[in-house]
Amino acid sequence: MPTLTIDNKTVTVPEGANVLEAAKRLDIVIPHFCYHEALGSVGACRLCAMKFLEGPAKGIQMACMVEAKDGMVVSTQDEGAVDLRKHVIEWLMMNHPHDCPVCDEGGECQLQDMTVAGGHGIRRYGGLKRTYNNQFLGPFVYHEMNRCIQCYRCVRTYQDYCGGTDFGVLGCNQRIYFGRFRDGPLESVFSGNIVDACPTGVFTDKTFRFHSRYWDLEEASSVCPHCSLGCATIPGARYRELQRVRGGVNKETNGFFICDRGRFGYGYANHPDRPRIPRIGDREVSWDDSLEEARGRLADIAHRHGPAAIALLGSPRASLEANYRLLTLAHHLETDRIAFEAHPERDRTARVVAALSDKNSRSLEEIRNSDFLLLVGADPLNEAPMMALAVRQAVRRGAGAALIDPRPVGLPFHAVHLPLAAGRLSEFLQAVCAGTFENFSRQERTILEGIAERLRRAQRPILIGGGDLLGAAGVRDLLRTSEKLSKEDRPCGAALILGGPNSYGAALLSGETSDFNGILDGISEGRIRALVCLESDPFTDHPDLSRSRSALAKLDLLIALDCVPTTTAEKANIFLPVKAPAESAGVYVNNEGRMLAFASVFDPGTPIRVTGGGDHPPRVFEPGTPRNPPMSAWSVLGALQNRRESLNSLRREMEGEHARLAGLASLDPETDGRRVLPGGGRFEIPEIPAIPTEEKAFDLISIQSLFGSETLSAFSPVLDPVRPVPRFLMHSADAAEIGLAAGETLRVTTDRGGFELPVALSEVMARGCLFIAHLKGSPVDLPFPGVRFAARVDRRKES
Amino acid sequence: MNLWRGIKGSIQPFGITFRNIFRKPSTIQYPEQKRTPAPRFRARIILTRDPDGGERCVACYLCSAACPVDCISMQSAERPDGRRYATWFRINFSRCIFCGMCAEACPTLAIQMTPDYEFSKREPLTLVYEKEDLLVDHGGKDNEYNYYRHAGIGVVNPRGGNPDEAPPVDIRTNLP
Amino acid sequence: MIDLLTVVIILVKLILILGVILTLAAYLVFAERRILGRMQLRLGPNRVGPFGLLQPLADVIKLLTKEDFLPSQADKWLFLLAPGMASITAILAFAVVPFSPPLHLFGREIPMVVCDLNVGVLYFLALSSLAVYGVALGGWASNSKYSLLGGIRGLAQLISYELSMGLSLVPVVLMARSFSLTDIVLAQSPLPFAILNPVAFLIFMISIAAESKRIPFDIPEAENELVAGYHTEYSGMRFGLFFVGEYINVIILSSMTTVFFLGGWSGPLLPPLIWFFLKMLAVSFFFIWMRGTLPRLRYDQLMHFGWKFLIPLSLLNVIATGAVLLAIR
Repeated sequence: MPTLTIDNKTVTVPEGANVLEAAKRLDIVIPHFCYHEALGSVGACRLCAMKFLEGPAKGIQMACMVEAKDGMVVSTQDEGAVDLRKHVIEWLMMNHPHDCPVCDEGGECQLQDMTVAGGHGIRRYGGLKRTYNNQFLGPFVYHEMNRCIQCYRCVRTYQDYCGGTDFGVLGCNQRIYFGRFRDGPLESVFSGNIVDACPTGVFTDKTFRFHSRYWDLEEASSVCPHCSLGCATIPGARYRELQRVRGGVNKETNGFFICDRGRFGYGYANHPDRPRIPRIGDREVSWDDSLEEARGRLADIAHRHGPAAIALLGSPRASLEANYRLLTLAHHLETDRIAFEAHPERDRTARVVAALSDKNSRSLEEIRNSDFLLLVGADPLNEAPMMALAVRQAVRRGAGAALIDPRPVGLPFHAVHLPLAAGRLSEFLQAVCAGTFENFSRQERTILEGIAERLRRAQRPILIGGGDLLGAAGVRDLLRTSEKLSKEDRPCGAALILGGPNSYGAALLSGETSDFNGILDGISEGRIRALVCLESDPFTDHPDLSRSRSALAKLDLLIALDCVPTTTAEKANIFLPVKAPAESAGVYVNNEGRMLAFASVFDPGTPIRVTGGGDHPPRVFEPGTPRNPPMSAWSVLGALQNRRESLNSLRREMEGEHARLAGLASLDPETDGRRVLPGGGRFEIPEIPAIPTEEKAFDLISIQSLFGSETLSAFSPVLDPVRPVPRFLMHSADAAEIGLAAGETLRVTTDRGGFELPVALSEVMARGCLFIAHLKGSPVDLPFPGVRFAARVDRRKES
Repeated sequence: MNLWRGIKGSIQPFGITFRNIFRKPSTIQYPEQKRTPAPRFRARIILTRDPDGGERCVACYLCSAACPVDCISMQSAERPDGRRYATWFRINFSRCIFCGMCAEACPTLAIQMTPDYEFSKREPLTLVYEKEDLLVDHGGKDNEYNYYRHAGIGVVNPRGGNPDEAPPVDIRTNLP
Repeated sequence: MIDLLTVVIILVKLILILGVILTLAAYLVFAERRILGRMQLRLGPNRVGPFGLLQPLADVIKLLTKEDFLPSQADKWLFLLAPGMASITAILAFAVVPFSPPLHLFGREIPMVVCDLNVGVLYFLALSSLAVYGVALGGWASNSKYSLLGGIRGLAQLISYELSMGLSLVPVVLMARSFSLTDIVLAQSPLPFAILNPVAFLIFMISIAAESKRIPFDIPEAENELVAGYHTEYSGMRFGLFFVGEYINVIILSSMTTVFFLGGWSGPLLPPLIWFFLKMLAVSFFFIWMRGTLPRLRYDQLMHFGWKFLIPLSLLNVIATGAVLLAIR
């Protein structure tokens, strides 16, 4: 722990920290560009000059390149250092265009700040400015190369941190160029991070282009609602429209960066068809009328058919508070028919994780610091991209990584990949526990024994599992394996990818017997007459769509609360619009069991872009937002129970009711969150009838796709340009057997209907498997991720 | 001494005020007589055009940021040629205090103040001026300046075509 | 022996006095605004009618058509009564003002005074004491902090300066040997009392400036401290009554100055009535002039000046005058 003196102030910093970081601890701000907390320092911009008076280094040095040592005496205000910084910023500005007014970075531009801080004002250089041609970099990132000051942050972010390979630095001398070899969309799903990393306006958010200035945006610390990892984000809204999302800082989860789904999936809040007014049938009504009607009809059904005729369905994308209020609504209505996930297998998976994982649960930060990672049935780039980035950082630091997955998984790091069939993942985990791999082929055994050996030797190993492919039983096996592999001094961690941002939280609230299939059976048999759906869509999110749809059609009363126009919202008898995640405050519990609070960014209401029809807003005097704006889901559910409360009192009540949620009321969105307390419970997985396998049948598995499977981002028009097309994925050897070439149409029949889609081929996947990515809103009713069918295939006859 | 000063100080002003009665009042009889405002008088705001006839305003939001009473609002957007412009631009003159901060902040000389101070209205809403009410077809106080000819990112001239710019570099050459 | 003609003559006198005074008050407002304007190098109101002469009419129409506002929680009856108290006491004082020597008309002598009381001075002092109630009640009944403060200030100020005003009239009574105003006027036939006893005249002028609650003594309604003091909550014609009351007060005080110190109607060449009005208007002009010239006093300065300087001085003056009168008899 070296102690040094900067500007007559003494500071002690951890071993290995550089002098610039030490100065930051003292709140001394020195202009700098190339240093970034996540990327480290390279000494490229020459701006953080300080004068070293005593200690190992002497004279004017770049502070970011000098490691802090005991006894150093440093001056930031030394005349020579100040003069050097002033000249460097003048050099940096020599070729910078005169375009701040039309640059989206203006106002949040580090170059602007540092130019002012460095004292440069008038351009003295009379020569010509260097110019470049720009590149088309896809729908998300806008390129304006003339603004570049060659700090290399973009390359270090894109290539080094995120593992992208199609973007880099080109040219030489005065012609350094940051771009792709050819025009074309950036291939990495972390491409948006170069927007955050660029200290000036070379890379700007194309979806936010010329929308607003930084200072006009309403911003607040938030949590990404698009997967179960709970990355910190900072959404920005203006004129009642969510206009962009940038990465927030949470050292325990995402660190500094976020994926493109989290960054560009914000369009759901402004969806043109977003229902914003309460409805009874097709009739738009006021809040009072709709709540009165909902209360009245629920009471009527309870009166006529008994309270057990009412069922409730929570959601892994609703906040913990809303799900809790749904639970108390069940108590209020005296029914115990409540489930928190429309997809029963995901429900069971989350509950296994919530019950078993707290001892060896690992955060993304711990994954980044791990030394061996085994991914089982996980496709992190499609299911939870920041998990892949965390593993990449571990691999960059020398960790090993292995992947057991039937899919041809793309990863931004090097890993051993063994494509085992989906049905054999549990078998593999049990074999790891037992330490013998007798049931595997010789080739497989060699690889698996190598993995097991690495796993034994590693000091901080972590098993990473994908909930969809493993299922509840597989996740239980994975958690038991991690327990089994743990020793006193060398725990083996586990991290699971769950279905939604609050899957863990919803599972915390679930009772022993809750199961949506049971509710569906009750509806089919006429025992259940009413269903209250909180931000869930059983019409499309159930694995067996024909079963759920035929059952739901029999309901007397369907009440839906949602912020996006789902099928359930359309079909609801009473629809109650609720706030989108960025509009309301709340808490998610992420895959690791970490409670993450998010603050309300803006108030909901029809955006001015809509009310003005693109032109100026209407010329009327009107106080407040237009009629009946959406309310927070927890307050709507509270109103159904005749409660009036504040979010804080609700959180205190939850703390009292659930011992594991201690600390909820004092949770601050600005912090890194807080792990829920250990439960030490066990969750029995009910027996599920095995799928009858036929000879010659393919194992058809529905999987996730990054830009198509998740509900909220599926309602984001911003992502439309990158939506994949539905297609099958098949092993090329299997295809050859039935004489199928890539791109040809494959006909697949299962006991739940057939599909006809083009096929893509791969060699790095398990034989006998057929994958189909779930895409919401596609014309074909694709099955929900994690569903497996026995499927017969044949080539479609050429017509 | 003090008493004498007190008495003198109380009596003397009577003389001054009495003399004033016979001096010429400085009042200007407004609707009949009009004062000619100075050229830099700060009154009704206009949006000017560049010498090529294009809108100067690039909707950079600096005026609305500078405005101490928040009477300027706008929405920026992009034209097909990459030019930034305001889809709508609104000044609420019933709120404006004519401080001139917006004109001072404007980097493109688009927003300027004119000496036209006579535009009071009875209806507050008619004092909300939209872009078409503000836009004029001249350059105001400077007819020469065209911002995009100096911005250095193309749009009006091809990239690298402004007088102070070198043509775009060829990044693929290895020559020094 | 009251006959019909006497009644008619009294009625005519009453109506004439009332009409002349109210018109005079209205135009005094106008004159003040024009004169103040000129003193401040402005024009003053000149838009309504020729030279703005119809401005008082416009003001009256405006005041009459404005909303009559009653604050909630105000003491309703006192609130409605107070403006009347302020103006009526001022008007009543005109009953004893002799405008000119008696006229000889229709073969009978018509006194140019409504009622030549033999205790006219006391009557005037009594009425000016009653005027305090308008201020005090108005300030109290409004149920507003500013009004109450203004009312209290007005009360203290009027009571303080009434003393010195009364004491400065004692030498006048001593010299005239009568309480009747007509006798006082007649007693000044060679030289007005202003010259004979300038100290009393000075004290009287200062005291009536304070009595009229005008600059530099407008502490009860000091705008920049108390909004409008005791009449903050008044609007429309009720405010108008306070306002007109102030100007009627100016006229009556100017008339009294004329009667007590400036020799009343007496003067060469011109008819007595004209002399009276000229003198009265000159004093009124002085009031306006003072408003255009002097700044407002502080409250403590006002009280110190009244009690520690003016009252002792007027007492001394009474003794000195008495001594001189005794000596020359």
